Amino acid sequence: MAAADGTVDDAAVPAGQPAKAGPAWWYPYALIAPAMITFVIISLVPFIYTIFISFHEMKFARLGDFAGFDNYTALLTDSRFWNSMKIAGIFVAIAVPLEFMLGLLGALLLNRPLYGRSILVPFLFIPSMMAPIVVGLLWKIMLAGSWGLLSTNIIEPLGLIGDSSIFASPNLALYALIFVDVWQWTPFMMLAFYAGLQALPVNPYRAAAVDGASPLQSFIRLTLPMLAPLLVVIGLLRLIDAFKVFDSIFVLTGGGPGTSTEMPSVLAYKMTFEFWNLGEASALAVIVWLIFFAFCNVFYQLAKRKLNAF
Amino acid sequence: MVSISSRRRRTGSALGLAFVLCAGPAAADWSYKTAAEPYQGVTIRVLDEITPLQETLATLVPQFTEETGIEVDYELLNHFEVINKGQADLLSGRGYYDAIMLHGFQLGPMLSAEVLRPIDDLLADEALQSPEFDAADMIEPAYSTTAAFGDKRYGLINWNYNQIYWARKDLFENPDEMAAFKDKYGYELAPPETFTQLRDIAEFFTRPAGTTLAGETLDSDFYGIVMEGVKGGSTFLSLWGNFIKSYGGDIVDADGKPTFDSPENIEAIVAWADLWQFAPPGMAEYSLLDVPTVMGNGIAAQAIAWSDFVLGIDQPGAAPYAGKFIYAGMPHKEGMEAERSVEGETSVTAISVHSEHPEATFLFLQWLAERRQQEALLEAGNGGVPIRNSSWALPVMQEGELAGLFSAMEDSLKVIVAKPKMPDFYELYDVLTGISQEIGLGALTPEEGAAKAQAAMLDICETCLLD
Repeated sequence: MAAADGTVDDAAVPAGQPAKAGPAWWYPYALIAPAMITFVIISLVPFIYTIFISFHEMKFARLGDFAGFDNYTALLTDSRFWNSMKIAGIFVAIAVPLEFMLGLLGALLLNRPLYGRSILVPFLFIPSMMAPIVVGLLWKIMLAGSWGLLSTNIIEPLGLIGDSSIFASPNLALYALIFVDVWQWTPFMMLAFYAGLQALPVNPYRAAAVDGASPLQSFIRLTLPMLAPLLVVIGLLRLIDAFKVFDSIFVLTGGGPGTSTEMPSVLAYKMTFEFWNLGEASALAVIVWLIFFAFCNVFYQLAKRKLNAF
Repeated sequence: MVSISSRRRRTGSALGLAFVLCAGPAAADWSYKTAAEPYQGVTIRVLDEITPLQETLATLVPQFTEETGIEVDYELLNHFEVINKGQADLLSGRGYYDAIMLHGFQLGPMLSAEVLRPIDDLLADEALQSPEFDAADMIEPAYSTTAAFGDKRYGLINWNYNQIYWARKDLFENPDEMAAFKDKYGYELAPPETFTQLRDIAEFFTRPAGTTLAGETLDSDFYGIVMEGVKGGSTFLSLWGNFIKSYGGDIVDADGKPTFDSPENIEAIVAWADLWQFAPPGMAEYSLLDVPTVMGNGIAAQAIAWSDFVLGIDQPGAAPYAGKFIYAGMPHKEGMEAERSVEGETSVTAISVHSEHPEATFLFLQWLAERRQQEALLEAGNGGVPIRNSSWALPVMQEGELAGLFSAMEDSLKVIVAKPKMPDFYELYDVLTGISQEIGLGALTPEEGAAKAQAAMLDICETCLLD
């Protein structure tokens, strides 16, 4: 048995067997080295370089002079940036709670005796297994003005949205994108929560039943607390992911009409690959990272203290 | 307001003449084989955009290798990829491609980044000059305004993408529709010569489901016109090239200062936005690919479209309404025929400043632009967009089923000029295409949109032309 200092506790060695020498000091580092080297090369170096670029002029992929906070100032005084943050805020504030609640509700239903569940569960994986670009194309086919399956057969004949189509409407396009996101990710949430429910111990529920607890009381007093770590982690991951959504927006609206669906990811793409203003695009990436870094830390501490989730 | 078009046209003509003069006397014993001897075994990489035209061109490329011994890796990518990947290669300094196809609008940013190699020295090199090139035969003003900037030339023109007017022949020739149209508007139903006529036709053919069209009861709504309306496509290019400039306006003056809120521009935008009421409700999602699809499926009576995309639709079996179309030149504003402007995206294949084989690449580009290759391309029967005046006389252009389309292309190319060279073109375009879309959708009035666009332009550049 290894002691806390990493040495072998002689008393724990069975009689008659020679004591084994402890691992060399470098052994743990060697074990994690492949993962760390990969992480440094793939993530850390580009990230540090992004920060470096954000403090320089960089137009047309050419590194210019040190620019101090100029790129940050330009970005933070640009109404387009704040518009993108507002759009992302609306998107996340609606899509994630909806996915969360519908996912949890679906998981609770799945967790009950249900005929054909083993057939249904694999089908639920389909939306989240689809590439986001395919999801975008699929909903384009369904909702495109004048030729989309739902548009031509239901929405336009009933005059549901007036003279425009959903993705061309400045008032509806964002909500259509939220709908697409909910369609894609609710089943994933459902399955993740369902897996969590399946792993819960049954004894607390038996005890609660003996004590006469109602299903609602069992859910609030037992299921939610026991499931909290999973709910928190899945919710946080989904929130981060929803903030970064890009592919479906790119396919369905391109950030339009106007800038009504232009999330930070779409703006960053344009700044990088259309405007070739890599300095400002890097500043945007760093700001988004900072926001999430701060948010995740606060969220983590709160979840740890209040929900005992970690 | 002073239009920059005429000034460019004059500059372009002068440069075209200079090109002819510097081309020098033809060497009787010149051949690609001898010219390419120093470059035998070299492999050049050329990036071009994929359409049916380039796929046909790709079949000709092996002949160049046969003639010269220069290997050509001719890569075709779609419109968006060729822009992104091509620019990334140029701007990053990677230099994988020796030559890259650039749309006219890309030239401003790329020239500003100094990643294109001028070809004046190659054009002046007698060892490389083909006596068959014949620069005077190139379609002007498209060629000079695209390939030349300042006193230098960058690349040879390869694609004269252009927009044309496109309509349903069966509707225009239907006796009942013709009579009803004349009763209502007082003149014969025919491809429009003016924007007012374009609007009349759009209004006339816009009909709800249940009414009749050419004697048939409509199952679904039918629309009078379809144009591009998507954000990020060429929506604003069409508004700019076809409408704004035809109304005597422009987005910048001769000094490059933004002029988006000029009265001429607002009048043009009003005319353009007015057409949206006769278009399918999803037009704000329509890209340059969707417009031909809508026409091919018989959803609209007329369109303003890119002619090379029409070629993919008006082929036997390609679409339900293939073979039932007529084409014409773009309308103009009443009383301003001389100012008529048509949107075109004249494109060059330019040599990268990072190319290690500029001479071999130049030989290839020159070979592609020569008359015999251009004729072979067009005679392959898959359509084409001529870059040479002599191509219009080819039998395939005059006698084929698409003769009307080629005639419309010729009409458009009489007035098409390249985009002005703007370093911040992409930022400008992104803002202007979004505002255009909002105007089309009615979210902004033309006046509000023009004011917003003017302010946005001034935010990006006070002087928007490349020095």
